[in-house]
Amino acid sequence: MTRTVPWLALLLWLLVVVSALVQIIVVHQHRLVLQDWQQQDALRHSLLLERTQLTLEISTLTSQGRVDQLARSQRAMIDPNDIQVLY
Amino acid sequence: MNASSITEQSEHRVARWRFALVLVAFALLILAVVVQLVRLHTLDQPFLFEQGEKRTVRHEVQPGVRGLITDRHGRPLAVSTPVVNLWVNPRQVNVDELLPIAQDLSLNWSSLRSSVLRNQQQRRAFMYLQRQVEPSIAKQVLARGVTGVYGDEDFRRFYPAGEITAQTIGVVNIDGVGQEGVELAYNQHLTGQQGSRRVVKDLYGNVVRQLDVTQIAQAGGDLILTLDLRLQYLVYRELKAAVQQHKAKAGSAVLLDARNGDILALVSQPSYNPNNRAQLQPQAMRNRAIADLIEPGSTIKPFTVAAALDEGIVQVSSTVDTRPGHIRVRNKTIRDIGNYGVLDMTGVVQKSSNVGVIKLAHQLGADGMWAFLAKAGVGETNVLGFPGEAIGRLPYPAQMDDLRLATVSYGYGLSMTPLQLAQAYTSFSQKGCRMPVRLVLQDYPNARCTPVMSADTAQQLLAMLETVLSNQGTGRRARVEGYRAGGKTGTSHKVGAQGYDKSAYVAMFAGLAPIDDPELILVVIVDEPQGQEYYGGEVAAPIFSRIMQQALRMRQIMPEGNAHKSPFSVPAVDREAA
Repeated sequence: MTRTVPWLALLLWLLVVVSALVQIIVVHQHRLVLQDWQQQDALRHSLLLERTQLTLEISTLTSQGRVDQLARSQRAMIDPNDIQVLY
Repeated sequence: MNASSITEQSEHRVARWRFALVLVAFALLILAVVVQLVRLHTLDQPFLFEQGEKRTVRHEVQPGVRGLITDRHGRPLAVSTPVVNLWVNPRQVNVDELLPIAQDLSLNWSSLRSSVLRNQQQRRAFMYLQRQVEPSIAKQVLARGVTGVYGDEDFRRFYPAGEITAQTIGVVNIDGVGQEGVELAYNQHLTGQQGSRRVVKDLYGNVVRQLDVTQIAQAGGDLILTLDLRLQYLVYRELKAAVQQHKAKAGSAVLLDARNGDILALVSQPSYNPNNRAQLQPQAMRNRAIADLIEPGSTIKPFTVAAALDEGIVQVSSTVDTRPGHIRVRNKTIRDIGNYGVLDMTGVVQKSSNVGVIKLAHQLGADGMWAFLAKAGVGETNVLGFPGEAIGRLPYPAQMDDLRLATVSYGYGLSMTPLQLAQAYTSFSQKGCRMPVRLVLQDYPNARCTPVMSADTAQQLLAMLETVLSNQGTGRRARVEGYRAGGKTGTSHKVGAQGYDKSAYVAMFAGLAPIDDPELILVVIVDEPQGQEYYGGEVAAPIFSRIMQQALRMRQIMPEGNAHKSPFSVPAVDREAA
């Protein structure tokens, strides 16, 4: 009995040390993952911004009113009448 | 010798006393430190822990992006784009450091300064600097590193089609909550779910640890409408031009796919720019195509004739004597434009004879008339289920005496929205079955139509509606070059304070094309046209013609060989000679 106590104490002490080290590793991993996640989230946000801005730009450039006006003024296009449609 | 030893002893005594004093002082200090440590770790621990968390742990909210609204071909109609809400903590900020930020944001410096100082005095910890700032500008502001200035993610709604779809799509308020139109009707579906999490931040505001995530941010659902933006633009352009030309008070138009009841265009005039609401007039927000009730006037006459045909009271070749061009019902004389003599059923529709339809309605009786119009959707409570949608009115048979029955037969004394009128006309195109209309592509995929009349009656009515656009009809100006179309003109007096106003009219036209197998149904309403022209055949019919011609071409529907010829058509090109 007197011999087992120091061994048990040593084992427990080792467990404490190991768990402390593991915690340090886990916290470190958590930080790395969090950092990676934050970077990805920032990237997602900037891509979302870019996508919506491009969507708005495309829809502004291709708006019916603008295309209609440019077709008439710059390309001298006209509405076809029935004969032109037939042929 | 003795003297010197005595002196040493006395010096030792003093040293020991001092030593003891210092020792006690140090012991007391250590004790005080220990007591303080114990106190901090036991008695004050909860308070200090909470205070520590308050300074490092932050509850972050991530907004969920609102769903996209597109037309049937995926063209965006409402888009949410990221922006930044800039705010200050007046307790932390040095007001004079805000000057360059005020310049970046083009804010009035004196008013900003005074409001920050006022909030400082009131010990407030939050004040918006500016909401919905463009991200590049917000980045520039935050890069200045002024203490107490923060930025939160948010979204702003943009409407690429602007005034063309303004009333139908509606708007959201600054908090992203739907206020009108589709934005309000489908608010729950479109709204994203906010995300929230607890994080530990360092001195510079960087997240160093994530404690927990209570909710993951989720985007709202997208919405695909049945609208076709090209057709919507076309209808908008033509209606706006006509409203301006006739100096009308307002106008609306509905373009339906005759085969399935899809709303291809829903336009109201006047309109507004939803992206800039600084000078918004409330009446411009009104979606007149679904919120305004009109008395359909003569556009309802085809239904009176159809009811008589369907009930077997008359045949297409049956005649009605409309002489002498007026009829007296109770104490009121109801007139035709002229004396049309004896008319067959086609003639009644073609000439839009009030006397003819009154005689048919009196043969039908109030019950027959009511039942038929109710099946056609007149007086329907709602069509789309939109907020602000008007409820049509159709008097019950018990409320219809001879005079009321007579007025109902030519479209007075009952009311419906332009959309309901367009929907009623689907019963002619769909072999007598009225189609349910829809604005959202995902809605009612397997909805059934409501039988209104027999397929034969519907076919006969289509032939009659085509004659309205002939040289003898009232809708000559609605002819669609290159195609065979049909429709009915309508002109109704508006109701004023003293009954019907003699000088205020609503001009309308409801029609279909191509007549053999209708693909499009168009209803055009012009409210209070000014000047010499105010009849539906003069004001609304030409709009119908212009819209329908271009719409049919856009839908790639082949022109028909024996259609009405254009007076402006160019000679056919001799291909062989060329």
